[in-house]
Amino acid sequence: MNQKPHADHIYIEALLKNDSRVLSQLYEKFSHKIVTYVRNNNGNADDAQDIIQETLVTIYHQAKEKNFVLTCPFDAYFYLLCKRRWLNELKKRGTNRVTILEDEASIKDEHEQQVEETEIFEQQNQLFESKFKELGAKCQELLKATFKIKSMEEVAEFLGVTYGYARKKKSQCMGKLTQLVKDSNEFQQLKRY
Amino acid sequence: MEELKYIEFDKFLNNELTETEKTAFEERLNSDADLKQEFEIYKALETSLASKFENEETEKELRNTLTHLGSKYINDKTETETKTKVISLFNYKKLLVAASIALLIGFLIFKNGNPVYSDFSKHNSLELVVRGDNNEAITKAEEAFNTKNYKTAFVQLTILEEQLPNDIEIQLYKGICLIEMDQFSQAETIFNSISKGNSAFKYKATWYKALNLLKQENFEACKEVLKTIPESAEEFEQAKKLLKRL
Repeated sequence: MNQKPHADHIYIEALLKNDSRVLSQLYEKFSHKIVTYVRNNNGNADDAQDIIQETLVTIYHQAKEKNFVLTCPFDAYFYLLCKRRWLNELKKRGTNRVTILEDEASIKDEHEQQVEETEIFEQQNQLFESKFKELGAKCQELLKATFKIKSMEEVAEFLGVTYGYARKKKSQCMGKLTQLVKDSNEFQQLKRY
Repeated sequence: MEELKYIEFDKFLNNELTETEKTAFEERLNSDADLKQEFEIYKALETSLASKFENEETEKELRNTLTHLGSKYINDKTETETKTKVISLFNYKKLLVAASIALLIGFLIFKNGNPVYSDFSKHNSLELVVRGDNNEAITKAEEAFNTKNYKTAFVQLTILEEQLPNDIEIQLYKGICLIEMDQFSQAETIFNSISKGNSAFKYKATWYKALNLLKQENFEACKEVLKTIPESAEEFEQAKKLLKRL
C-alpha cells in the first residue's frame, strides 16, 4: 500500500493544527461545490455548512487517532464524503421525494478506498459513543476521568477511591462496554474491519 | 472469571505483564478467536475513547474556527434566500436601535417631568458682613454655608440668632440649612413664619417652602405653594419655571 501523502495532505495537517489560514483556503476552494449539491437535493446553505463541518471534524479525529494520511486529491475525497453524509442525513429525515442528482464526476477506486476508511472510522466511533452512553453513570464518570487524567493514581485520588479499586473498576467498565459493542447489530456490520 | 479477563487485557495493554504471562496471553489469543475478537474491541475502545476525551478541548477550538469560516464562506455565498434574511436582520437591528433611542428619550422626558430639588437649589451665598457686626460667628457661618457645610453653618447661625433674634435673614438661612440636612418639618416651621410676615424675605421663604416640599417629592403641595408667589416677586420667574415642570 502506498502511504505517500498527497500534496493536499496540508489540509489534514491544517485540521490538526487548527490553522485558520489554510482552512479558509479549504472553504474557499471546496465548499461551493458541496453547497450546490446540498441545495440541489432538498437542502439549504445551513445544512451544507453542518455537513462540511461534521465531515472535517471526523477527518480531524481520524488523523489524530489513526494518523490518517491522505493519498488522493482532497477535492474528490471530501466531496464524496460530504455527499454521502448528506444522503444519510436525508434518509434520517425521512425525506422521500429525493431526486438525487448524480454528477459525472466519477471517482477512482483508490479514492473510494480512502473515503471508506474515513466512513468506517466514523461509524465505529459513533457505535462506541452510543454504547458508552448506555453505561451507568458511575462507569461513564470513571472512564472519562481515566482517559482525561491518564494517571490511575490521580484518577483514584480524584474519585476518592483506592488505586486498586479504580484499576479494577476501570477494567470492569471497559469489559461491560466491550460486551455492549460486541452484541450490537452495528458491530456485526462493521466486523469485516 | 469474566472480570479477570478484562483485568488481563488492561494489564497487557499497559505493558504490566511479565514476559511469561505475556507469551501465555498471546498464545491464548491466537487459539481462541472469540477472545481475540473481544480483545480487539477492548483495544479499539481504549484508543478511541482516549483520543476522544484527550482531544475534547482542541476539537472545540477547531469547531469554533470551522463555524466562523463556514458562516464567512457559505452563508455569504449569496443565495437570494439568505441575502434577504441578512438584510431583514439588519433592518431589525436598526429598528431595535431606533426603539431603544426612543425609549431613552422617553425616559429622559419622563425624568424631566419629575423635577428634583437639586435642579433648583442654587442658594445665594450668605453675606451677613454688610451688617457691620463683624464677629467670629458671622465669618464662620458664611464660610461654612458658602462651602455647603450646612451642619456647621446651622450651628453658627443658631449662635448668631441669639445675638440678633430679629434678623429674618439669619432665620431664612437656618431654614435652608435644615432643608439640606433633610430636617423638613423644622424647616417648614421657619419658612411658614417668615412667609406669613411682611419682611423682604417673605417670598424667598415661600420659594424655599416650595423647595422643601419638592425635596420630599410632595409635588402637589409644592405646586400650591408656588402659585402663591406673585408676579411682582423676585422669585416669580423661578417659580414659573418649576411650575411648568410639575
